[in-house]
Amino acid sequence: MRSAACTLLALLSAASPALAGVKEVWWNVTYVENANPDGLFPRSAVGVNGTWPPPPIVINTTDSLVLHTTNSLSDPLTVHHHGMFFNSTSWMDGAMGVSSCGIPPGESFTYVVPINSSNQHGTYWAHAHSNGQYVDGLRTVLIIQPENETYAYDEEYTITIGDWYHDQHSVLINQFINIANPGGAEPVPSVSQCLSHVRSAKLMHVTRAEAPLMYFSQGESYLPPKEGSSPSGSTAGTGFNENATMSFEPGKTYRLRIANTGAFGGFYFWIDGHDMQIIEADGIETKPYTISQLNIGVAQRYSVLVTAKNDTSSNYAIHAAFDTTMFDTVPDDLNPNATSYIIYDSSSPTVEGTVDEFLSTPDIDLVPINPVPMQPSNANLTVTFEFDTMNDGTNHAVFYGAYNDDSFDSVTYNSPLTPAVMSALTLGDNATTSAAYGPLSFVVDHLQVLDITLRNADTGKHPFHLHGHVMQIVNFAEDYTSDDPALNPPINESQTNPMRRDTVLAPPGGAYTFRIIMDNPGVWFFHCHIEWHLESGLAIQIIEAPLQMQERNSLPSVLNDQCATLGLPYSGNAAGYASVTDLNGLPAGPWVQNNGWHSKAIGAMAGCVLTAVLGMATVVWYALGGHISEAEIEYEERLRIEAKAERGRFFGLAKKVKGLRVRPRTD
Amino acid sequence: MAKDLFSVTIFFIVFRETLEAAIIVSVLLGLVEQIIYEDPERLARIKDAQARADPETPGTDNALEKDPSASSDVSSTPELTSGVDDDIVTKRLLRKMRIQIFLGAAIGLLVACGVGAAFIAVWFTQAADLWANTEDLWEGIFSLIASVIIFIMGVTMLKMDRAKAKWRIKLQRAFSGEHVDRNTKAGKWVLFVLPCITVLREGMEAVIFVGGVSLGQQATSIPIAAVVGLICGLIVGYLIYAFASRTTLTVFMVVMTNFILLIGAGLLSKAVWYFESHAFAQIVGSDVDDTGGDGPGSYNVRGSVWHIDCCNPENNFDNSGWSIFAAIFGWTNSATIGSVLSYVFYWIAVMITLVYLKWKEGRTKVFGKESQAGVRRRERQEMLAAQEQEQQRLEETEKEGAREAAPIAEELVQ
Repeated sequence: MRSAACTLLALLSAASPALAGVKEVWWNVTYVENANPDGLFPRSAVGVNGTWPPPPIVINTTDSLVLHTTNSLSDPLTVHHHGMFFNSTSWMDGAMGVSSCGIPPGESFTYVVPINSSNQHGTYWAHAHSNGQYVDGLRTVLIIQPENETYAYDEEYTITIGDWYHDQHSVLINQFINIANPGGAEPVPSVSQCLSHVRSAKLMHVTRAEAPLMYFSQGESYLPPKEGSSPSGSTAGTGFNENATMSFEPGKTYRLRIANTGAFGGFYFWIDGHDMQIIEADGIETKPYTISQLNIGVAQRYSVLVTAKNDTSSNYAIHAAFDTTMFDTVPDDLNPNATSYIIYDSSSPTVEGTVDEFLSTPDIDLVPINPVPMQPSNANLTVTFEFDTMNDGTNHAVFYGAYNDDSFDSVTYNSPLTPAVMSALTLGDNATTSAAYGPLSFVVDHLQVLDITLRNADTGKHPFHLHGHVMQIVNFAEDYTSDDPALNPPINESQTNPMRRDTVLAPPGGAYTFRIIMDNPGVWFFHCHIEWHLESGLAIQIIEAPLQMQERNSLPSVLNDQCATLGLPYSGNAAGYASVTDLNGLPAGPWVQNNGWHSKAIGAMAGCVLTAVLGMATVVWYALGGHISEAEIEYEERLRIEAKAERGRFFGLAKKVKGLRVRPRTD
Repeated sequence: MAKDLFSVTIFFIVFRETLEAAIIVSVLLGLVEQIIYEDPERLARIKDAQARADPETPGTDNALEKDPSASSDVSSTPELTSGVDDDIVTKRLLRKMRIQIFLGAAIGLLVACGVGAAFIAVWFTQAADLWANTEDLWEGIFSLIASVIIFIMGVTMLKMDRAKAKWRIKLQRAFSGEHVDRNTKAGKWVLFVLPCITVLREGMEAVIFVGGVSLGQQATSIPIAAVVGLICGLIVGYLIYAFASRTTLTVFMVVMTNFILLIGAGLLSKAVWYFESHAFAQIVGSDVDDTGGDGPGSYNVRGSVWHIDCCNPENNFDNSGWSIFAAIFGWTNSATIGSVLSYVFYWIAVMITLVYLKWKEGRTKVFGKESQAGVRRRERQEMLAAQEQEQQRLEETEKEGAREAAPIAEELVQ
């Protein structure tokens, strides 16, 4: 605790030039029993201070956030503040295995998020970045209020949507990365195997209707369930889905912040009878963009302005519908729609509508309010990812591609033993060698301009998130294999203000090019935010300016101690050695199957052919050697017939029976 | 498609059974000629039997002269009195006998085909519903049954070159009026009944085998294979009757047996493969069906020996002849330890069986040990050799006696 306090002081003094306040938050991360937000199944969830959902965090852009975290869980824990820059302090990023080893059970750590020095405001979120704890519930919105609002609105609501599983993450991940799931079918949200207990845990079996979650908050408090409803469980204080309501007053303008805090499912979001104007995406304020529905991937956030109607004659439904194209199987009983309500007048009837078709959200067309021009790129990472059954029979993600003309073959990501941040800080001059960090690690120099071209060779949509930066979306190819410039255009270098955000939904067969200015020394994770995919290796480490990191080194020593407690190295290369090449003991694989005609096959085939030839030789030997003459055959056959005649028919039974019958007479 | 329309296994089974029936018929034909031209005693008895109203009456024991014209029952066969007439009559008789044999064989074949067709029709229309969605488990069980049937068939087929001699004895005894069994009593209809029964028996055997093997096959794959097998068996049977010696028959049987054992080994390997595939499908559930085809995810990597993303004999859309390769050699593009080992063990079982059989038949020693039959053969050979030696000795002494006698004679002459 002392070292944490020292860190805090050091940081506060470092940040003092800005007019900084400090917002301190105390989180005791605990299991919350009997959480039943969808009213369908009570389960144990991961919450904060004994409650679920964890409280929203609201902070001013001039303040720094200090999150005192105590881990009361049984596994190590990290908390990640999604979208924050951390300004050269990437050990505070809370990505387990990349920025730290995690808080051991029973210990504490103080996360310092220097929001005051990163000039960020908008809709963000915080969640566990370790052992899938965010799937089990540790997730909440983080709202940064600017000093001056760009857009005028009367009131704001925050809408949190997300998938909700009835099984524990630990159960689901074992089913997902399993030889019984070679196709890599992701767990479908809210589907319970606990109750049905179907043998072999087919993901399609459900016993009741299920639904995703939608709930509202204003400021730091969740909106209670609508009057008259009486939800059960420890989550009864918050209104979910059909119990969640927000009130609109005629003529007012509302800012709705929508955050998908789920683990897998994307959503289509719309409000019956109301259009929406996008004004912010992932903390980047944009020029108003009118839209009727939002396609919002996991970890994406939008702010929309909605103008209330001028009459109170009816109330309207708010819909969050799962993008079920991402599910391998859609259970018959899964209700993919979460529906909540805008109430003008509680005595009015409610309008509940549907949409004819689901529309994607063209975020590349959004225009940031604060322009950041393109800079010419001087580093290039081109990666293609896909999923396949590996040589151990499980399904994993692999990347292949090239970094600055050095190509690499298909490989899946494994967390290094030494968090990459610690490697970068302790390897000295060797820290600039990518290989020292293990596969899928790429060292980029300070202030270089990196292009990441991300090609999706999979059949699903993947929300890719880069830590510590916003990515300029400088190019999109609908079909990266095409020769048609309409489908696969070259990068237009003359864009004056391309859209930027921290999480982009990559569609199947398409390619995005992201441009990032390397002005934030640290190690930053670039990964698919679908938890199942992250855990099956769909991730890359960008090691940004390691030498500058070393110059700015002020890693709190408590992080080293926590690694030691967990039995993990906290210096040296990915495997913990003061070496570039010696990665002995580093978790690796599984690998892409090397199918084909190899030595093992040739050997086995030779063995088969050999025995077959020997067998056939035996046939020849049997037939040809030791010749029996016709006379001998006839002789043997006569012997046989005589023996048979002697014995009688039916193996002598007939004779015996006859004998029995005859006996009385002979007597 | 080759796989759907021609079952190699069925072809071989029908071929083999047809061939055996053909051999028996050819033995009968040969025997009849032999009797007519060389064995007047039996001929007379047959004529006698044919002439009589009561077919049960066997030929009498009266010693007949070598001259065929000397019949014991002149009154019933008056046409045999003249030598020229006799020749014509003999030829006519031969024709009549041949017609009987072929008629018997044809009727046997017809009945067998009818029963077989009915059997298979019932099988596929009624029983096949039991495993309408032919799962890997069923395919495995059927392949296993087929591989065992083929094993037995293959081994017994090797003895078929001896069938001629065996049947000769059996049929001779039948003609001699000795009761081989109730159906082969010498009588008016012996030449009709014998081939009929034989062909029927082989035919039923074929039906049962085909039925057993066809469990795992599509109904469409049976007719063409069966008909082609039948035709080939008849052709080869005729060729053997017309031209071939026992040695060529032996060589032919060796080749055929090797072929059929290759199929059997492949079927056993496939059976094990199906069982493993079934077990994997149990674990994976519907997912393995989703993936289908080849490549990662379509098979269990654990225990895999090789997997090639092509050449799948089960691919119904484009298997480019791999299904034939699979039917004959048991090829799979996704071999497992189980499927490879079962293939190897099948052949090892063949080797052990054949070594044992050859030993039991007294044709070889194993580790210096002889079987009962071996001892019997050796003793008989020794006995024959001793007899021969005795005879030689006798001849030599005779010669010597002659040589000794010669000078005496000369002396006497002088």
